[in-house]
Amino acid sequence: MREMEGEQLLMRIFIGDRDRWQHRGLSDVLVELFKKEGFAGATVLHGTQGFGAHSIIHKDSILRLSEDLPVVIEVVDREEKINAILPRLDEMIDGGLITLEKVRVIRYRSHRA
Amino acid sequence: MLVMTLLGIALAGALGTLCRYAMTGWMQRWLGPAFPWGTLSVNLAGCLLLGLLLELARQTGWVPAEFRTIAGVGFLGGFTTFSTFGVETFRAIESGDWMSGGLNILLNVVGGLALVAVGIGVARWLVELRSSL
Repeated sequence: MREMEGEQLLMRIFIGDRDRWQHRGLSDVLVELFKKEGFAGATVLHGTQGFGAHSIIHKDSILRLSEDLPVVIEVVDREEKINAILPRLDEMIDGGLITLEKVRVIRYRSHRA
Repeated sequence: MLVMTLLGIALAGALGTLCRYAMTGWMQRWLGPAFPWGTLSVNLAGCLLLGLLLELARQTGWVPAEFRTIAGVGFLGGFTTFSTFGVETFRAIESGDWMSGGLNILLNVVGGLALVAVGIGVARWLVELRSSL
């Protein structure tokens, strides 16, 4: 298992749960991509409400507004690793938002055996 | 004839569903996401139209029996939605928003009954208007 500590980069990708890449759910494809590229980890968070560039509010409590709920994918890794994947993401993500911020990793390890 | 009626119900149901999808979208965008306006609007409009349709069918010969079934069961069955009303009310109450949940029940159930009455009233008015001409 690789180690990671100290200053790293946190990438957040904001998309909708209806977003697709080559007929597959975009969040699934992205997580598989990060795994394949050897990233330290990725977490997919499902939002219950939100709006994006179109300013249309999506929320899960009203059926007609629950069609494209927010999904956030968080990845923490080295700056160069994240910068290297950005062109691929730009190609795959049609509408959405990507943010980067510096974070300090204080613990990264798997469960103790 | 039965096959044609079944086919008509299926096609009208599909059309009603598409109309519901469009109308709920318009109403939610127009009135905002704070309340399930879309579901309420299709349910109220459906009650009004079904009241009108069935009363006209009962009192006059203007509505053929097949059309009544196709429009009432097919189109309005697809257009209105009791299940979505149930889920959205449950979600509001579950999240502690008793006001929205209660208002939704009141507007859908009482408002729906009231609009059935309005639809029947309009139908009777149309019949009287026709007979006085």
